[in-house]
Amino acid sequence: MSILLEHVTKRFGAKVAVDDVSLDVRPREVFAFLGPNGAGKTTTIKMMVGLLRPDQGSVRVCGHDMTANGREARAAMAYVPDLPFVYDKLSGREFLQFVGRMYGLADVDARRVTAELVERLKLHDFLDQLAESYSHGMKQKLVLAAALMHQPRVLVVDEPMVGLDPRSVRVVKELFRSHADAGNTVFLSTHLLEIAEALADRIAIIHRGRIVAIGTLDDLQRERQSRQRLEDIFMQLTEEAEEERHGGRVSDAGAGA
Amino acid sequence: MSSPPIDVSRHAAAGFPLLLALKLRLIRNRVRQTAESSPLRVVLIVLFVLAIWGTLYGLFDRIFVTLNMFREQSVVVIPYIFHIFFVAMTVLLAFSSAILAYGGLFLRHEPAWLLASPVSQRSIVGVVLLESIFYASWSLLLLGVPMMVAVGRIEDLPWSFYVTFAVAFLGFVPIPGALGLMAAWAAAMWAPRSARRMVVLVAGVLLLCGLAWWARAWGTASADPDRWLDRFLGELALLRGALLPSTWVTNAIRGALFGQGGSAAFYLYVTVANALFLCWLAVHLVARYLPVAFARASAAPAPSIRYGGALTRWLSDLLFFYLPRPVRVLVLKDLRTFLRDPLQWSQLAILLGLLALYLAYLPRMHPSGFTVPWQGLIAFLNYGAISLILSTFTSRFVFPMVSLEGRQMWLVSLWPLPRSAVVWAKFDFALAVTAAAALAVMALSIRALRLPLPLALVQVAATLSTCVGLCGLAIGLGARLPSYNERSAARIAGSLGGTVNLIASMALVLLSVTLMGLLSYRNVYVLQSLARMDALNLVLYMLQVLLGFGVGAAAMRVGTRSFERAEF
Repeated sequence: MSILLEHVTKRFGAKVAVDDVSLDVRPREVFAFLGPNGAGKTTTIKMMVGLLRPDQGSVRVCGHDMTANGREARAAMAYVPDLPFVYDKLSGREFLQFVGRMYGLADVDARRVTAELVERLKLHDFLDQLAESYSHGMKQKLVLAAALMHQPRVLVVDEPMVGLDPRSVRVVKELFRSHADAGNTVFLSTHLLEIAEALADRIAIIHRGRIVAIGTLDDLQRERQSRQRLEDIFMQLTEEAEEERHGGRVSDAGAGA
Repeated sequence: MSSPPIDVSRHAAAGFPLLLALKLRLIRNRVRQTAESSPLRVVLIVLFVLAIWGTLYGLFDRIFVTLNMFREQSVVVIPYIFHIFFVAMTVLLAFSSAILAYGGLFLRHEPAWLLASPVSQRSIVGVVLLESIFYASWSLLLLGVPMMVAVGRIEDLPWSFYVTFAVAFLGFVPIPGALGLMAAWAAAMWAPRSARRMVVLVAGVLLLCGLAWWARAWGTASADPDRWLDRFLGELALLRGALLPSTWVTNAIRGALFGQGGSAAFYLYVTVANALFLCWLAVHLVARYLPVAFARASAAPAPSIRYGGALTRWLSDLLFFYLPRPVRVLVLKDLRTFLRDPLQWSQLAILLGLLALYLAYLPRMHPSGFTVPWQGLIAFLNYGAISLILSTFTSRFVFPMVSLEGRQMWLVSLWPLPRSAVVWAKFDFALAVTAAAALAVMALSIRALRLPLPLALVQVAATLSTCVGLCGLAIGLGARLPSYNERSAARIAGSLGGTVNLIASMALVLLSVTLMGLLSYRNVYVLQSLARMDALNLVLYMLQVLLGFGVGAAAMRVGTRSFERAEF
């Protein structure tokens, strides 16, 4: 397994942000993680990359336990947060060089990968300017390039398409697909259901901290016994979960976690 | 990716040297950019630093020359000056480092990004410690270097004194830095969310307690004029505690000062050894528990305070009853933002609080009352201190107000109000805050000095006029030279517009203080009474008042016109 979450729970005071979540994400897979605002997506991702520690359960990335061997786990992965971070006073090229060195890339490898990513993501025009002058979309492309510098076995991306123009969205989708096809894992959290529908091999829907559905789009449609679009499935599942919560009905509701 | 896979097994190479090189590159790029884009600002900064250094050197030179006139006492008093200086620096540097380290480890996006990378936690903490020491210790450099040169010149000391002083400085600064780092970590562990607020409040309370203790010592000593120095130094014996870092560094400097090489070397060794040990301890402790502290700081639930806002609404209706309702709504928003952000009001509260404390103790120093020359001089100095405090507050917190509103212009510009009303609302708010605080302290000064009514009225009018001038400058120039794309108030204050405002404010304060100085001088030495007012003094008085009101009005005119034409 590339990512393995076993009975993970995270509480903030009295609020249970993530409630007994179990997930396994495999190599060669693009995995979409969906959920309404405040459902627990970012908390789950933060536990996955070691920024938060689960109160219960365990997180393993590429076989390394995130709590006990966090550094080894992090070396095998890359994380792109929803608000892309770059050093304002570095140029894009300097930033990519820094990330390459951070992951111990030889200079020759770093130069080769940089050239390839710059070409694919069309970063030439602004690569030697300070990042403070970049638009949100330009920053987003730069951090994606930085995340792919060391060709991570697991790429975790929170809202990857925000601020990107349609051409860049297309390029990024192809990039994710080819990265997964090369034997790696792409775990992406998104609100754009059409992206998940088009790109993801498997989808998980989280609602109020619990996984309410998981599987391929076909699996989810089979469970609903109709050829509905992902948007309809998402709406129904989250509304059903809400009704159950208020009505006190106890059911698995298709949760396959 | 089509290229062959990369071997990332050497990822362990990443660490402290890499992060340090990154930080140096960031500083280099920032300096280069500033030098290329605004060379005037660089020149102004250099000139300001040189001017401050020069002034401080002159001040220390005078102090040590005066002390040397009393040779016997100076042998005791000079080391005490170093004791007091280093104790104050320990506290100030520890707090500055704590605030910087908290920001570097828990507040920005950078630590989250670095923690999700294979960079070791010790490397992250080590670099943050170095950064916070570097950025916090400039004040020590600014104050310490002129002091060192002044002592060295007056005592005609050999080069070894300067070397000892420099090593003692460098050995000393990591101690408060490491203490600050541990305090920041402790705040994240046990007081997340309110950590910065807590640090600022604790700093303020400690500062006030320290000053109260100092004033008590001074007051006790003053009660016995014949032996006041002995009694005062006796009260300060606490500062010479053998376990205090300030004592080690002072003893090292004292050794160099009096030619006791062995003692200097021993205390240098003690200072450096303790600094290294504390840094080692701080880095290992904080790095060990960094993920836990980071998780608590970034994920702690917000305190469940319900903000009803009834009190602020009542206050705004009371203070700004004369404003049209829509403008009052805008002022109310600014009032709430101001009161709910201690970083904004704490600086004004601490500085004016210190002044108020000193004014409260002032009558105890001379229970029989001050003579006319002293009354005139102290009243003038109090006015100068209030003006300087106001100018730092308006430059740091009032100037950015218009720029920060730029982000809300999508909302504000749709209001059925002329745009100039937004600028005037900010002026009204800033004036209310500064005038209320400054006039309260001025009233204390008048009471403490028992000033006669004419001079009391002059002082009140001068303070009010300075408030109008400084607020007008800050708001007017803030609207004329805004930084609408900048979110950080500190950065807006440090922009070109902020620098222009700072210089203009300082110039206004200088002119106002000069006029008030002339007025006081004529009262004391020409009219020989603080209650009398001749034609020339009346002219000086009118000039002072007109200066503040005139500058404020002119700046506001420029600012409102510019704001009305601005595009967002």
